[in-house]
Amino acid sequence: MTRKQRRLTLIGLAGIVLASAVGLILFALSDGIAFFATPSEIAANPPAPDRRLRLGGLVETGSVVKDGPKISFAVTDGKAAVPVRYTGMLPDLFREGQGVVAEGKVDAAGNFQADTILAKHDETYMPKEVVEALKKSGEWRPEAEATGPEPKSVTR
Amino acid sequence: MEPMLQWILMAAMTAVASLAVLVPLGRRPADAEGSARSIYRDQLNELELERERGLIGEREAEAARIELSRRLLRPDATRSTAEGGGRRAVIAGFIVAAILLPAIALGTYLSLGSPATPDQPLASRSTVSADADIATLIGKVEQHLRDDPGAGAGWELLGPVYLKLGRFDDAVRAYGNAIRILGSTADREALLGEALTSQAGGLVTSDAKAAFDRALRLDSKNDRAAFYEAVAVGQTGDKDAAIAAWKTLIAGAPADAPWLPVAQAELRRVENPAPGPNAADMAAAAGQSAGEQQAMIEGMVSGLAARLDGAPEDVDGWARLFRAYMVLGKPDEATAALARARTALAGKPDLLAQVEKAAADNGVGAPKP
Amino acid sequence: MIVELGHYALVLALALSIAGAALPLCGALVGDRRLMAIASPVSIALFAFVAASFAALTHAYLVSDFSVRNVVENSHSMKPLIFKISGVWGNHEGSMLLWVLILALFGALVAAFGNNLPMRLKALVLAVQSMIGTAFLLFILTTSNPFLRLVPAPVEGNDLNPVLQDIGLAIHPPLLYLGYVGCSISFAFAIAALIDGRIDAAWARWVRPWTLTAWIFLTLGIAMGSYWAYYELGWGGWWFWDPVENASFMPWLAATALLHSAVVMEKRDALKVWTILLAILTFSLSLLGTFLVRSGVLTSVHAFATDPTRGIFILIILCLFIGGSFSLFALRAGTLAQGGLFAPISREGSLVLNNLLLTAACATVLVGTLYPLALEALTGEKISVGAPFFDMTFGPLMVPLLIAVPFGPFLAWKRGDLLAACQRLFAAFAAVLLTIGVGLVFAGPSKALTFFGIALAVWLLVGSLSEFAFRIKLFRAPLGESFRRARGLPRAAFGMTLAHGGLGLTVLGIIASTTWNTETITTMKPGESVTIGSRIVTLDGFLPVSGGTYSGTAARFTVREGGTTVATLAPEKRLYQVQNMPTTESAIHSFGLSQLYISLGDVKADGTTVVRIYFKVMILLIWLGAIVMALGGALSLSDRRLRVGAPKPARAGAAVAAE
Repeated sequence: MTRKQRRLTLIGLAGIVLASAVGLILFALSDGIAFFATPSEIAANPPAPDRRLRLGGLVETGSVVKDGPKISFAVTDGKAAVPVRYTGMLPDLFREGQGVVAEGKVDAAGNFQADTILAKHDETYMPKEVVEALKKSGEWRPEAEATGPEPKSVTR
Repeated sequence: MEPMLQWILMAAMTAVASLAVLVPLGRRPADAEGSARSIYRDQLNELELERERGLIGEREAEAARIELSRRLLRPDATRSTAEGGGRRAVIAGFIVAAILLPAIALGTYLSLGSPATPDQPLASRSTVSADADIATLIGKVEQHLRDDPGAGAGWELLGPVYLKLGRFDDAVRAYGNAIRILGSTADREALLGEALTSQAGGLVTSDAKAAFDRALRLDSKNDRAAFYEAVAVGQTGDKDAAIAAWKTLIAGAPADAPWLPVAQAELRRVENPAPGPNAADMAAAAGQSAGEQQAMIEGMVSGLAARLDGAPEDVDGWARLFRAYMVLGKPDEATAALARARTALAGKPDLLAQVEKAAADNGVGAPKP
Repeated sequence: MIVELGHYALVLALALSIAGAALPLCGALVGDRRLMAIASPVSIALFAFVAASFAALTHAYLVSDFSVRNVVENSHSMKPLIFKISGVWGNHEGSMLLWVLILALFGALVAAFGNNLPMRLKALVLAVQSMIGTAFLLFILTTSNPFLRLVPAPVEGNDLNPVLQDIGLAIHPPLLYLGYVGCSISFAFAIAALIDGRIDAAWARWVRPWTLTAWIFLTLGIAMGSYWAYYELGWGGWWFWDPVENASFMPWLAATALLHSAVVMEKRDALKVWTILLAILTFSLSLLGTFLVRSGVLTSVHAFATDPTRGIFILIILCLFIGGSFSLFALRAGTLAQGGLFAPISREGSLVLNNLLLTAACATVLVGTLYPLALEALTGEKISVGAPFFDMTFGPLMVPLLIAVPFGPFLAWKRGDLLAACQRLFAAFAAVLLTIGVGLVFAGPSKALTFFGIALAVWLLVGSLSEFAFRIKLFRAPLGESFRRARGLPRAAFGMTLAHGGLGLTVLGIIASTTWNTETITTMKPGESVTIGSRIVTLDGFLPVSGGTYSGTAARFTVREGGTTVATLAPEKRLYQVQNMPTTESAIHSFGLSQLYISLGDVKADGTTVVRIYFKVMILLIWLGAIVMALGGALSLSDRRLRVGAPKPARAGAAVAAE
């Protein structure tokens, strides 16, 4: 093989690998990602049943029903509420009236079948997505953020 | 002594930093240095070893040797040039090391650091002071008393120190011993009573009351005993008697008595009772053992503290909290409470000013030397 | 006094790093040997001062000095000693100080052991290292100073985030930082070569041990972090494609590529420009990781603070170093001499393929990590890119790479013989066919994908062993001869076999644990049992637990197999009082390489609780494989040929002392 041919082989190889990487990324971006949705958006515009979504909002007070590991509750943004079904263990900081993000799909009956539930990491943290969902629906009350106990020391 | 030492150490550190630049500048740089050639030479040796072990074929080894030799023969570009900048470079380096470096360090530090703030490890700030002098002093006296427990003067000396350090049990024992050995005086009885009161978390127990009574029998003008008698009356829950007792005490007090503001505050408090434990609670407390009383008092104080954290606008509440902590012999808690109040009331300067005043009145947050 | 001295040491370190960046650089540019000679002692002094500063902060944590704001915010006097120490880097300020400490450590190591380096190259490398140090010291002092005081001092601290109060936290960040920051050395070498305008095979030889060191720590750090997430977060998962995990994984992929391309450069004087680019890329990804984690653009367990000024400051550092280095690269890359020709089928060719696939895989991870951020910034639309995306992109790119790995070592330099390589891999082919055959017979075609994965792992394992067997002529020569050959093999060869074999183990662990993982979620009362495979798990009852700054409930489970008790597990539900934060502490018991994993829900008043029980088959292989990989790296590093330092017994600062 001449020098030129060798170089061309290399460039060809690089081209193939890059093209397949780009192809894979584009394919995955159309299929492998989850869009964020608020309860109002889901209520107004029910998504396709196989679309993966991240639903963010507050756990509606009084809506949590536990049947062993099967849990159902509603996520609300103050304007609309979406019923959520989940089987498994809830995060430590899952509470009624607190922010939550559920990931999963909406089934034919309109229930959100969640496979992952994320709650706050600590008492003062609210998932960013939830904050913005609430702001969008006008339900955002900044003071609701600081419901935790006062920090013990002088700083913060 | 320590601030001085701190500056000396900082100066020494600066000198080390400057020397790290100056020393190499002052020397003629060594000629010894690595170069690409040594690497190629190593590679040739490795090649030879691999060939001997049969890890590489003769033909490949020959080809590799030729290529490595070619690299070896190439002019060594990595070798640095001879001395360059010369004097000017050395002067530049000298300026950087001797002037700029200390200037940057000191300037930055003075704008960011707190050179006057001492270390405050927790061990030195909890009830026992880390003041080495006091600690050694106590140690010495205690040693002396172990050898000669009959030395009443030693016990008398230790009493107030223990009291100040919050070692109330020791204080009670010390005063008891002093009275037993040296005999009863009004001052000693009153101090014993105070120690007993402190031991009970600020409550004048029956033992304490007895001590104050003895003190007043010996000297009816004993301020300390009179003060605690008034406190004791207040703690029975009999409001009118308490008012009367405080008024008598204040009327007979010298104008510069250090406890006068406290007495006046107590009087005000009895006259305008703030929400808090009522007379029944206090009466109940009186019937409890010392431990129960202490627990109850501490429970009330922590309840108050928690309430204030939730509703910090209560200036009187803060004043009561500070007083409670000071009475309970917990000045650190009081300081912490003041700090919390400052945070909570940061947006309300007028309220904060009142709280600050209440704190100052109770001697909270007095600047440490 | 100690706190203030620590603060002053940090400030002095800044001043020194400025001097250490400016003077040797000037020296190298004008060719003054005295100015160049400054680099080494300054780098060592810089490390000493940063270390003193770090020690002072640690001391403040140990004695609970609550006059230091950083201690108040992240410690508590009741915390166990180990978490007081690990709390030093369990927060933003302290972790940045650790970052700089490790940066300075690597600079000092180059200064002390880099005696075989040409003076000019060494001066430039250390100058670049000092520049990075200057930027981050400025960052610490202006936006994240851990030495700020608080007067009057509060009585008690706020305690450390309970999730971070774990032995994993004590080890994971320092390891990861040693890896992350270790990449700065290869970056500094690359920039030095670009400034110098010269580069050759010797350069790769100098860079390789440093890259290898960083790679070892990065490997261990990522594995450790993954294990920590596995047992601490209580979900039983070991990799979440969380942006923060990706931030550490991308430099690892790039560093792995760099390690391989540096071999080509050292042996064949080829791929020079590409290697330089990879070195820059690797550290840029480390910086990007630091930015993603520290700026708070991501919300995750790792994001300690969300302070916009910090984010902007790190973004500026990021732009400065990445932008600057790439501009320099664009400017100078053309002037670097090309060299070394090779056929596509050759050792070089296989390493190029390795590099292409690794960088492409790295690119997919980068896209998956940054795409949501970019999309939100541009359109305001919020998406989450999770495991499905990476399964679809990263996975397919890894498959050809894993298939190609065993071939590489069998191909000769310059011109290889693929057919001969295939013949020598006969045993591996046989093992693969056997695996697939067994799978089809016993599990049926529905599990074909699983057995393909298992076969891939077997291929890697047997393939790397075949290479070793071939080298020592196992079964083709008398055993004594093979043994003699094995002893004669350079350690680097053992290292490669181990590293590739370790990769096989990890792949095996991943496939086995995801395929045969059983998960049982159920409600249990004391006395009730659940059957997991051949084992019976019984909930005996609940016990109160408390320690340090928490209290909680532990559930006691007994595991019986064939009537005999084989294990007891006690997962806990804790409440950290200071922060009023509940946490779940899962309990794990290993059966060989497999693990039983129990995690607890809230305990109701009637004693029932939701229990999640996993049985993870061969999951330990995932981390064991990573450790084997790191061991391979360490063995390779100990090879005399790669060892850092000159063969002569010259010691640290020889350039200064030799007079």
